[in-house]
Amino acid sequence: MVKLEKVLPKYARKAFSLNPVIADKMGLSARNLGRTADHFLNTWMGKVGIIILAFFLLVIIYSQLFMPYDNNESALPTYAPMSWEHPFGTDARGRDVLTRTAHGTLASLTVGLMAMAISMGMGTLVGLASGYWGGWRDNVIMRINDVFLSIPWLVLMIVISAILGNPSLFTVILVIGVTGWSTTARIIRSQVLSLKERQFVERAKALGAGEWHIMKKHIFPNVVPLVFANAILTIAIAILSESTLSFIGLGPQDVETWGKVLENAYSTGAVTAGQWPFIVMPGLCIVFVVLAFTFIGYAMDEVLNPKLRKR
Amino acid sequence: MASFRRVMTQRLFNAFLTIVMIMILNFFLFRIMPVDPALLMIPRDPDLDTMRIYEDNLVKFGLDKELHEQFIIYMKMTFTGDWGTSYIYKTPVLEALAGPLAWTALLLGISSLLTFVIGMYLGKVAARRRGKNADLAITGFGLFFYGMPIFWFAIILMLIFAVEIPIFPTGGYVTSGIHPFPLTIDKIFDILMHLVLPVATLVVGAIAGIILIMRNSLVDVLTEDYVTTAYAKGLTEKQVMKSHASPNARLPIVTTIAMDTAFILGGAFQVEWVFGYRGIGWTTIDAIDRSDYPLLQFIFLIGGTAVVAANLFADLALVKLDPRVSIV
Repeated sequence: MVKLEKVLPKYARKAFSLNPVIADKMGLSARNLGRTADHFLNTWMGKVGIIILAFFLLVIIYSQLFMPYDNNESALPTYAPMSWEHPFGTDARGRDVLTRTAHGTLASLTVGLMAMAISMGMGTLVGLASGYWGGWRDNVIMRINDVFLSIPWLVLMIVISAILGNPSLFTVILVIGVTGWSTTARIIRSQVLSLKERQFVERAKALGAGEWHIMKKHIFPNVVPLVFANAILTIAIAILSESTLSFIGLGPQDVETWGKVLENAYSTGAVTAGQWPFIVMPGLCIVFVVLAFTFIGYAMDEVLNPKLRKR
Repeated sequence: MASFRRVMTQRLFNAFLTIVMIMILNFFLFRIMPVDPALLMIPRDPDLDTMRIYEDNLVKFGLDKELHEQFIIYMKMTFTGDWGTSYIYKTPVLEALAGPLAWTALLLGISSLLTFVIGMYLGKVAARRRGKNADLAITGFGLFFYGMPIFWFAIILMLIFAVEIPIFPTGGYVTSGIHPFPLTIDKIFDILMHLVLPVATLVVGAIAGIILIMRNSLVDVLTEDYVTTAYAKGLTEKQVMKSHASPNARLPIVTTIAMDTAFILGGAFQVEWVFGYRGIGWTTIDAIDRSDYPLLQFIFLIGGTAVVAANLFADLALVKLDPRVSIV
């Protein structure tokens, strides 16, 4: 395998060859990035995770560009068994199940990524503020956080989606994102609590650095690895949450995710019709994508957390 | 011990505060629901004077009052145990939910017990054979089922063991037409048969977390100096495990149980829905479909309170189990 560590700095230097200082700096950070990436790919979890994700990226490209059937075309025979033309059979309206499953990939991953962005953004912001301020403000924020941690997530999501009514892709993302920030906030906060007592923060304060500067330049960069590893795991949870919401009929009405395909399979009686692939395949897709993100998250944790490496 | 009492008072106060905030959230969330309950409760009959019934309903539900007045009444009613009347069942919500609550308790009781016993055992085996095949197999199994939608696994189990090979019933908590009470041996057997698939789903869905935590915390403990000392004293592996490693490794599990309460409830919702097991989860999803807000509001409240109580209980249990905690 080509060592990324060696290749990356060379390109970085070339790209910025006009300005030697920037080029050197870019080279250095590229080398660090390369080393991290190498280490990451050396763990079996990282490798497997990346392979699975790469497969699903190919599926997205294929489904958007080359799919032989239209997603809504229903002229085909209904509940056709598995065959070469329809590897997963067809559904109650005669649509090709493989096509539907493949199309679900993009929607499901979109929900996962966007919901992650929302809950990580909120969680990081709240955790940083709460941990850094301390005192009564911390207390107030943490009590609100307690409420969000205490309400069973499914019930909260159900209630919010019922309020928003007729959920679209965007509202589903919003619901999952907004209900998912509390754990992140708590993890970030405890890290900040320990960081702000360190000497480098004290030193910065002694030099007259403002609150905002310390947060931005000293605290935030140190929680980034934690945010990163946590973000990957959050994607997995968001995809699972979406499928559950869809299954009980509160999924997005405007796009078809894997959860919606499953719900459709279940409610049109694919179980009793013996349409195995219709039930099994979308579910397996969810399992593997979630598995991929979990693996990558764990591998990332191992890379960014040298203490774990010894084991 | 004085400091211990202070910490506990603080925790209790926080728990109380959380519950009050859940109540407040509960009030406002259901006030901004798009459906007007007074409108919803008008019977579909063209002969009736709908406008008058609507106004009567407004008065009956107290919706004619100002928002702050409604809020005070709501808080008063919540604290005095008057939780409203279910639209679907036309009885007080507690009465409507007593049955489902009991069935869910049965389902969750059995499945949680199995999850913890089996999960802790497998975690222990994995930690002891760290890096060997048994460890890889168990952790791999755990991770695979960790990322599985619970409702999907429920459908798969139903497909295999109730449709293709009909050993177990497809749904419900008893065979339809049979009234579970008074209990007889036959009826107990029937109930147990109905429990097998839902319990299996819940155990497999939740066991991964327990296995992974037990394994990791045991691995942590096994690398501690005092474990090496114990081996150096000449104790056997069994003795070290039993009296040195396991008691310490079990501590994080206590916190996990509490943190998992919300997750376990979520799992129960899905399993009950798929198997048509008429517990609290099935009732909730049914209540959403039929806009039964008083019922939903009450479920929201007990769900949140249950989680708060579980966390408080875990704090207390941890103090009891780990003497180091009480010093803090």
